[in-house]
Amino acid sequence: MLRKTFYLTLLLALLLTSCGPATPTELPATATVAAPTASTEIKLTDGLNRPVVLKGAAQRILSMAPSNTEILFAVGAGDQVVGRDEFSDYPEAAKNVASIGSTFESLNMESIYSMKPDLVLAAEINTAEQVKALEDLGLTVYYLKNPTTLEEMYTNLEIVAKLTGHEAEAATLIESLKKRVAAVDEKIMPLNSRFSVFYEVDGTDPSKPFTAGKGTFINLLIERAGGYNIASDIDGYPQLSLEQVVAADPAFILLGDAKFGTTPESIAQRPGWANLSAVKNKQVLPFNDDLLSRPGPRMVDGLEELAKVLRPELFK
Amino acid sequence: MRNPFIISLFALIVMLLLSLAIGSVFIPPAELWRALSGIGSSETFRTILWNIRMPRTALIALVGAALAGSGAAYQGLFRNPLADPYLIGVASGAGLGAVLAMSIKWPYTTLGLLAVPLAAFIASLLTVYLVYTFAHIGGSVPTTNLILAGVAVSSFATSLTSFLMLKSTGEVRRAIGWLLGGVSLVSWDATLALVPYLAIGLTALVLNGYALNLLQFGDDQATQMGLNVRRAKFIIIVAASLVTAAAVSFAGIIGFVGLVVPHIVRIWWGVDYRRLIPLSIICGASALLLADVLSRIVMAPQELPVGIVTALAGAPFFLWVLRRSKNQGLW
Repeated sequence: MLRKTFYLTLLLALLLTSCGPATPTELPATATVAAPTASTEIKLTDGLNRPVVLKGAAQRILSMAPSNTEILFAVGAGDQVVGRDEFSDYPEAAKNVASIGSTFESLNMESIYSMKPDLVLAAEINTAEQVKALEDLGLTVYYLKNPTTLEEMYTNLEIVAKLTGHEAEAATLIESLKKRVAAVDEKIMPLNSRFSVFYEVDGTDPSKPFTAGKGTFINLLIERAGGYNIASDIDGYPQLSLEQVVAADPAFILLGDAKFGTTPESIAQRPGWANLSAVKNKQVLPFNDDLLSRPGPRMVDGLEELAKVLRPELFK
Repeated sequence: MRNPFIISLFALIVMLLLSLAIGSVFIPPAELWRALSGIGSSETFRTILWNIRMPRTALIALVGAALAGSGAAYQGLFRNPLADPYLIGVASGAGLGAVLAMSIKWPYTTLGLLAVPLAAFIASLLTVYLVYTFAHIGGSVPTTNLILAGVAVSSFATSLTSFLMLKSTGEVRRAIGWLLGGVSLVSWDATLALVPYLAIGLTALVLNGYALNLLQFGDDQATQMGLNVRRAKFIIIVAASLVTAAAVSFAGIIGFVGLVVPHIVRIWWGVDYRRLIPLSIICGASALLLADVLSRIVMAPQELPVGIVTALAGAPFFLWVLRRSKNQGLW
């Protein structure tokens, strides 16, 4: 009896696992709504070196990251976005788009598939495994790599514009972004002094706050806005000790973690920090981290904001 | 109500159906039937059912079976009610392997995509091997030594994992998600890859039920009763570790199922390992299916890591069973 029931269980399990289709199912016919531009095939290679082919400009787009959503809306493809991740909260109109939840630890594959997107725009916060899983369902995925320079950010705008059929808008947008950056450069470049900056990314552990170092966009934009990042000689997102910050005595402390509750008051209470120049001169300022941490067109807003904070006299 | 196998198999079938019926996308029962039979159903529902829900359901059932089956075997082997499938290093080893693999950017190839489960599988088996080697004294492996070596090696591996996670900031959240267990990305490939390991390992455990019964009297007594204790122990450890490592490599570390399901089976249906092991396997599958269904609906559309649900829902349930149980002195 015992043996028999066990084999029955095993049989049941085997049956369950073997009755699925052996190979990934055939691609579902993507709904071909007439594209605004001519429905010519779009062929691109994505950030994972995968070839991506679209029959025409994407009409039902699922954005998997806040930066992607911002780019889509900025190039004028907002109306073609049918789904977004939970953290896409900009622009305001994006909040009206259906959410598929967070895309980080787990993907809600059912919700994603039921939206029938003809393009899933993934970002570096998504994993290659997630891309593969979506691809296996027959969805078209473009993995947008994080830019490391403003030029690469413009390239990303162009890529998204190409995928969605908004190349003209993107060209105008890029031109205006470049002009705004040039306007900042024009004022900042001639200066021969720089203010030192400590940019706090995350002070969850107030004794070892995270900051942004070499190779990050935060570092790049701080330097471009006429600052000197005190962590610029360390790679990535290092944790600094309280002592290191005291030794560097930054002229500005920018709180990218202000939205998580770090305040100038809580900064002043950290051991040894009450005497920092930034604290004494009231230059501990909350900063909208979204402008620097989301690799999209709002980085230019971030650059302008930084420049205004560091050199208010030049931007009146 | 007589035969525990009929009851537990019935529960398993109910859970399997529930797992297929409930998801973040609502499929009406009539549509569900059509999608199952493949006649006149919509393409969307059919894909969701066959390519998303079904492989996931199968994988979850297999993982639950693996964890509870090996948990029951370890509890018997170590004669320790606190033993779980991870006692001698499978979880910490798998965690280390997985986080190591995550800290590298793999190319988009089959091998690159399999890097995490492969690394987890290999590292967990290596860890168990290391523990076994350290615990070895002469010709025998005292269980106390195994537990102590397991604790030491596990701590070492866990601290290495934490160190790696601190160093590579980018992948921390992904690693945490993996360590909490979760299987949102399931393909038939992953599920099928598990089958051979589990079939071999679980069969070996079931066949060793009588040996486990004898081991309850202690090594000396068991030897006198004609059991080759060394061989039996070795087979049980290898089978249980293999099964757990395979499960963990695809599903991440799912806690509590392997610890508690065997106890519930023991309280309900007694301590005979010839029944305890297969019943734990069946009930483990049901328990994890239930936890997975909950993980999908509690915070929809966001899915919770199933490891959180197993302990959150499992612990109170277990305490309730424990309180009600009149059957004392199981150990």
